[in-house]
Amino acid sequence: MSATTSLVERLRARIGKAEPATEATVEAGHLKRFVEAIGDPNPRWVHEAPPTFLVALVPVSMHLEEAEEYGKGWLNGGNRFEYIEPVKVGDRITATGRVADVYEKTGGSGSLLFIIFETEYVNQHGRTVAKLRGTAIRR
Amino acid sequence: MTVKVGDEIPELVKHPTTRQLVQYAGAQGDFYEIHYDQAFAQGVGLPGVILHGLLKAAFLGQLVTDWLGDRGTLTTFEVSYRGIDVPGRLYRGRGRVTKVEGEEVELEVWGEDPDGQRTTIGNAAVKMFP
Repeated sequence: MSATTSLVERLRARIGKAEPATEATVEAGHLKRFVEAIGDPNPRWVHEAPPTFLVALVPVSMHLEEAEEYGKGWLNGGNRFEYIEPVKVGDRITATGRVADVYEKTGGSGSLLFIIFETEYVNQHGRTVAKLRGTAIRR
Repeated sequence: MTVKVGDEIPELVKHPTTRQLVQYAGAQGDFYEIHYDQAFAQGVGLPGVILHGLLKAAFLGQLVTDWLGDRGTLTTFEVSYRGIDVPGRLYRGRGRVTKVEGEEVELEVWGEDPDGQRTTIGNAAVKMFP
C-alpha cells in the first residue's frame, strides 16, 4: 500500500506543470493515412483535419511510464476536444500538455488510478486552435 | 433544414476489423498491444484485442460531421468509453439533438454494439452558420 501511495504522490507532484512542448506539421500524407484508417471518405479531410486527428499529430500520453508500476494495463476513460480554429494541411502545431489531476478510486473490482491530462494546440500564428482533456486509467 | 430538439441524426454503421485496428495504430502512433496482440490482450484480462477508444471517437466524430456538413462548425466534442468493442462486431454510431438555442446546437451521441449496449457515450456542440 505504501508503494502505491508514494507513486500517487509522485504523480500528483506533476499536476499543473507544463511538459516540454512538441511540434509537428500537418502533412497531407499522414492525414490521408489517418482518414483511411478511420474509414471517413469525406473529401473535406484532404486539406482539413477531422475532429480527432490532433491525437495522431503528437503523442497525447504524458510520459507517464512511471504510472505503469500501477496495475497491469491502461484504459482510455474519455476525451474532450474543444475546437477554436480549423487545422489545415501545412499548419505547424505546437502541443503543450500537463497533468491536470491524479487520483485513485477503489471499488468492488479493485483499485483504479485516474490521470487527467490536458493538451493545448497552438498554430504557427501563435493562435490556440484546439484543446484536449483526456482521462487515462491504470487498472 | 431546420434542426429541432429530439431530431435523430442519421446513424453510422462501422464494421471494424483487426486489420483496421493495425491501420489505426499506425496512423495514430498508438502501439499499445491490446489493439493487435491477442495473447497480450488476454494477458491483461481482456477477451481479446479491442478497438482503440480514440477510433470509436473518430467514428462518432464522422457521425457528427456527416450530419453537419457545411451548415456549421463543431465547437466541442466529448466521448466517454463505457465498454469494450471488438473487431468483427459492428459498431453503430447514433445521435440526437438535445438543445437548440439560436445558432448553438447540442447533440448527444453514442456508439452501440450489436446487442444495443452503449459502449461509448458523448456529446457535441456545434455553431450553425447564419
